[in-house]
Amino acid sequence: MRRVPLLLIVLVGAGSLLFDLTLSARLPADADWAEAAGALRARAQAGDAVQVWPPWAERARLFVDAMPVAFEEDLAQADFVGVQRLWVLSLPRTPRFAAPDDALRSRGATPAAEAQPFGALSLRPWDLHAAPPAADLTRATEEHEVDYLPRRCLRVAVGSRFTSRGAGNRLHLRGGVIGERAYDRDRPAIEVQVFAGGAPLGTLAVPRTERDGTGWRRLDLPLPAGSEGAVGEAGRDFVFAVSSADAAAPFCLQAWTTR
Amino acid sequence: MKRLARTLGFCTAAALALTQAPVGFVRDEGYYFTAAQSYEEWLRLLLRAPLQAIAQTERYWSYNFEHPGLTKLLFAASHLVFSTWLKLLPDALAWRLPAFAFAGLLSYWLCILGSSRSRSAGVLAPLLFWCAERTFFHGHLAAFDVPICALWAGVGVAWLGAAGRPQESGLRASGLRPRVWFAFVYGVALAVKHNAWFLPPVLLVHALLLPREQRMRALKTLPWMLLSPLVLFAFWPLLWHDPVRHLGDWIAFHTHHVHYAWWYLGQVLRAPPFPIIYPLVVDALALPLPLVALLAAAGVSLLVGFARRRLEAQRLLELGLAGAALLPFLLTTTPIFGGLKHWLAFVALLTPEAAALLVRAAELAPWQRSRALALGAAAALLPGLWQIAHLHPYGTSAYGELAGGVPGAATLGMQRQYWSNNVTAVLPWLNAHCPEGARIFFHEVNVESFRTYLSSGMLRPDLRYAPAPEAADYAALQWHREFRDREPETWNAFGTRRPATGLYLDEVPQIVVYARPGLPGAP
Repeated sequence: MRRVPLLLIVLVGAGSLLFDLTLSARLPADADWAEAAGALRARAQAGDAVQVWPPWAERARLFVDAMPVAFEEDLAQADFVGVQRLWVLSLPRTPRFAAPDDALRSRGATPAAEAQPFGALSLRPWDLHAAPPAADLTRATEEHEVDYLPRRCLRVAVGSRFTSRGAGNRLHLRGGVIGERAYDRDRPAIEVQVFAGGAPLGTLAVPRTERDGTGWRRLDLPLPAGSEGAVGEAGRDFVFAVSSADAAAPFCLQAWTTR
Repeated sequence: MKRLARTLGFCTAAALALTQAPVGFVRDEGYYFTAAQSYEEWLRLLLRAPLQAIAQTERYWSYNFEHPGLTKLLFAASHLVFSTWLKLLPDALAWRLPAFAFAGLLSYWLCILGSSRSRSAGVLAPLLFWCAERTFFHGHLAAFDVPICALWAGVGVAWLGAAGRPQESGLRASGLRPRVWFAFVYGVALAVKHNAWFLPPVLLVHALLLPREQRMRALKTLPWMLLSPLVLFAFWPLLWHDPVRHLGDWIAFHTHHVHYAWWYLGQVLRAPPFPIIYPLVVDALALPLPLVALLAAAGVSLLVGFARRRLEAQRLLELGLAGAALLPFLLTTTPIFGGLKHWLAFVALLTPEAAALLVRAAELAPWQRSRALALGAAAALLPGLWQIAHLHPYGTSAYGELAGGVPGAATLGMQRQYWSNNVTAVLPWLNAHCPEGARIFFHEVNVESFRTYLSSGMLRPDLRYAPAPEAADYAALQWHREFRDREPETWNAFGTRRPATGLYLDEVPQIVVYARPGLPGAP
């Protein structure tokens, strides 16, 4: 018993040192990244994107040049607009790693092949079974940070209306306040009223963000059945009216339709 | 005992001086360097025309009014002597030199406190404190966090010398000199940082909890603290004119301090109430695991001793000082930015007890004492030494084994870094690739630190500071959860999402560099 205190200290110290000295062996080398990037280059198709996992593994962006690199944090909810096949490039041997498979499966995605190792990296394609995109209604060319992630969205002034035209069976609307202002206390909510073909379709409410991860608000609506044919391939007219008592809020909107 | 303490103090200062060159200039250092330059001008005026200098204190000392003058005055004096006059040291090293002296003092006082238990504990106490990248990093900075941590311990030692029983504390405690020394040391603490405001209540409670004979002596020592503001006044010339207004400004700045956003377990904390266990969690995740375990054991040991009324004066004081260093951050309303630098004294004041426990564990084991002690010390210190070897000079990014290192902390959603000093990793790349006169957006690097990078030769003199990505050719972004908007802004301005290079610690992004397409180094 007299040796127990010292043995405990030695055990904690030795365990810590073992962790420290072996950490680098669990992380990818440049060559691993380059090989994975080469594999992606060889297999890239239209509608492909790479998701790194854990989402902080952004060093991938130094190497991957064949397709967009996403670092979404909630794989069950992330939109991946226009992406049909998602390549998950992960670092499965990093500390506190949690596999993304369950989150992907919960959204209906299925693995398209077995995972392929590249040193400490693992690459696996997933079929998202996403509805094919019909129209990008906001046609944003820039990206803005909302709720700590970059969003391809259109900055729309509060009090203004935004119009667009497009076909599709389902409307997807996302909105949020850019930057830290989203979290300011006592900021009033922002509302986006949606009209399709002159008729009100729904309202997206964007209250002040109280908890991280809830600031990018979503509204998904079916478009009235059979109306697409009536409006033709060019689609219908959409109006998005943004209103709030916080007139200076830097508000960002993304809208698209799927078939 | 004091010889050993002096040796450890000198070794600490020397180790910091030898490893300071790659440490970037943190945001606050930029302000203190600027203050030191202004105060140096005042010192030169004082030597040339003393009356004029005394009359013009406001002109030279108003900058950085929110912190007392002593440390900045020392930075200025060191620069005046070693850089301006003797031309012996580069600017940054000269400014930082007094910080190393404070770090040496901290080792000295921790050794004194540890040595009252055993010689081995005296050696191990400062080693336990410094063998972690977070604490080691902070020891390098021309800032106030390590100096006030040192004074926290120094006031404790001086208090024990003035008010405690010599046979108990192992410290001299007779006559007027220890009391004057105590008043002086507390005055120096006041002149270093406002944390010192919390010390009188701690000492009062300590005095009241002492046995009767000691209590009376301690209570008679307390009024000597009334002399301490003289030191504050002497070393802060700003107070020489209109002192009430300046003292009011100083106090108001800290009682109304803004809250900076801070990432903690996946949520950005912006305003009170903060989690009550926040400082303990940060310590547990950022420090090497053996140190965390020993500090926890030390805390428990002191608390149990307190509950059983078995703490003698020194251990009772260590418990009080460690608790007082942490207490403001358990209130859930005190600004919590800056990681553990604000409560470094909590770690420091637990190390003598932690060292004593380690020594006791070695003595208990049925092996040769020296071998057992060497084994225990190696187990306690080597992970911290590895952390320093692996991560220095990126001290604000360091995380321990409990977090899972830097990658584990990133997955947990912990603050990745702060203060912008990690940018030093990409300065050689920028120097090598930027065309002449290139404009660089340095994000969190303030213009004061940028100027120091230029003057120290770490950056090419022709490179220019850009206020925003739109006005820049290159951007060196510091990865902060709360500043993520800067990255898409850079993509929009540069027309590319692909970085050119960066600093990735164990794969975790710290600094991400972008170059406008077509410029040298662009992907």
